[in-house]
Amino acid sequence: MAEALEIVGICASPGVAIGTVHLAADVTAETFAPFYTVAAEREKLRQAVGVAVTDLSALADRLDEESAGILDFQVEMLLDPALVEMAEERIVGGDGAALAWAGALDRYIAGIEEAPDEQLRARAVDVVDIRNRVLRALTGRPVEDFAPGSVFVGKDLEPSHFLAHDWSAGGGIVLFDGSASSHVAMLARSRGIPMVVATGRFEIGDGLRVLVDASDALVVIDPEDARIRKAKSRMASASPSAPAQPGGTVETADGVAIRLSAIINDRQELKATDPSSFAGIGLMRTEFLIASPADAFDEEKHYEVCRQALDWAGSAPVIVRMLDLGGDKTLPGLGAKKSESFMGVRGIRLLLALPELARVQARALLRAAAHGNLSVLLPMVTVPDELDSMRTIFEEELAVLVRRGVEARMPEIGMMVEVPAAALMLDRFSRSAFFSFGTNDLAQYLMAAARGDQSVAGLYEVAAPAVCRLIGQSVALAEAMKRPLGICGEMASEPRHVPALMAAGLRHFSVAPSRIADIRSAIGGSCSDGRAAAEKR
Amino acid sequence: MESRPRQEAPEAGDAHGHCQTEIEVTHGFGLHARPSVTFTRLARSFPCSVEIEVNGSNVWLNGKSIVKMIGARIRRGTILKIRARGLRAAEAIRALKALVERDFDEEKKHGRSA
Repeated sequence: MAEALEIVGICASPGVAIGTVHLAADVTAETFAPFYTVAAEREKLRQAVGVAVTDLSALADRLDEESAGILDFQVEMLLDPALVEMAEERIVGGDGAALAWAGALDRYIAGIEEAPDEQLRARAVDVVDIRNRVLRALTGRPVEDFAPGSVFVGKDLEPSHFLAHDWSAGGGIVLFDGSASSHVAMLARSRGIPMVVATGRFEIGDGLRVLVDASDALVVIDPEDARIRKAKSRMASASPSAPAQPGGTVETADGVAIRLSAIINDRQELKATDPSSFAGIGLMRTEFLIASPADAFDEEKHYEVCRQALDWAGSAPVIVRMLDLGGDKTLPGLGAKKSESFMGVRGIRLLLALPELARVQARALLRAAAHGNLSVLLPMVTVPDELDSMRTIFEEELAVLVRRGVEARMPEIGMMVEVPAAALMLDRFSRSAFFSFGTNDLAQYLMAAARGDQSVAGLYEVAAPAVCRLIGQSVALAEAMKRPLGICGEMASEPRHVPALMAAGLRHFSVAPSRIADIRSAIGGSCSDGRAAAEKR
Repeated sequence: MESRPRQEAPEAGDAHGHCQTEIEVTHGFGLHARPSVTFTRLARSFPCSVEIEVNGSNVWLNGKSIVKMIGARIRRGTILKIRARGLRAAEAIRALKALVERDFDEEKKHGRSA
């Protein structure tokens, strides 16, 4: 038999997968470069406007004269070069097509809304419709999808690419670079997709059969059947999935109630998770719900996802985090160019730098808040000013919605505590309705070790004691302020860290649904001061 | 053009195809959506340039651009100046002015008699 080639990497998500290789083309700066040129963005916008006009005209043909007249108006608006020119000014200024379009149209809409005439103000709705239609047509770069069940092999994988793929037929991921603490690794773990990272570059042909034995951090090219059987049998015996238990709280060995909420990354997780096992959603990440910059500006999409989450949770609270882009979570043209660094423009910094984007999501959240127990969580807050600026945006957008007669409610607005300065100065954030620790970022900033950098992964791994000490201090500050607080970082989904986090004073954990059974037993087996149940007395 | 009869005083034109008029918008809904479509379509049917100015703002906007018209927030009672330059300028001004006076033919479009 031919000798099978084995490659060693690092396990980012355990499990075993066998499939044919999908070898991804390298996404390098060069491949991206033409995508960002002014000419390309301008062309993309023109095409999207063309698609919108065609769609509208086709739609108008099917309607009665009165309704068609309204669409006629929209077509006239789109055919008027003035609209595209307003957006093109922004493209020349460095904005991507979607951002430029949304920014120009929002400004124009705001002008109409200031009109003293009610009838004229009502026309703003038509322009909003135009804006959204073109944004939907601007679906961005189509992702190069691959056959279901195959094994993705490449330099790296973007979270949006991961989410656009159908993983229901299984499959696996092998990355030449990558890191076990990247967001895509987190997504793979929550979906149970085997993933091996940091294998280094190796030669492999598209379509070859490959075994991803992630639990052993091994990739086997063209494996023998016996090797596959061995890996599969070990996998079968190693996954005694504990039965789901109902209830959103669990008691420690000494009888202290710990609240358990779910971390939700996308709609599929919502469908796959039983709400009765959780006290609502402690963290809904919105950045993974969007696959393109156009989606980011699609208010209806944001709104629908929030409504789905509220329906899922029933009367339980749902905490939705605003778009946390930047760092390793980027979209073409959004948070991609200047904020590659984890220390750069990301999270709320990016939202405040792109108020058009923040306002779209704020409107969706304000509208959704009218339908359930929804709170808003702001990512990467460093100073109180950022919180205040975002509150102002919410207040302004609420006023606009009320004026338009749209049902809306001001949600409670809280903040992530993931920047060390914010954690240390928590008492200065009196305007935050609640706090949620984000340990992934807190750890990388405390250790000065980037999450995605495999060469310092060793430092990142041993961050827990420092993180727990800082959390302990912050918990005392939050309690003095009588503000609820919880944790939603990956540490909270790691049974081995749970005792220390409880000892630091945390009583509310948001965890990945796939880890809930392990977390329950870890909490049940510990006292609230973090000692093992057996040690007590 | 000079030979054509002109009844209204505010209208003024010259031999080089430059014509201007002033009119108050009386249509109840002002000049938005459908009236704007009608107005800009009519303006575009003339080869001359058509510009509008709202309430003596001294800002002249392209009268063939619906985007500019909507952005100008023209409502009932607005004093609209319309000026045209180029071929058939006087004819364009007369036609556009008549359209505003007829309340943009909105009555007709609602199925009532014109």
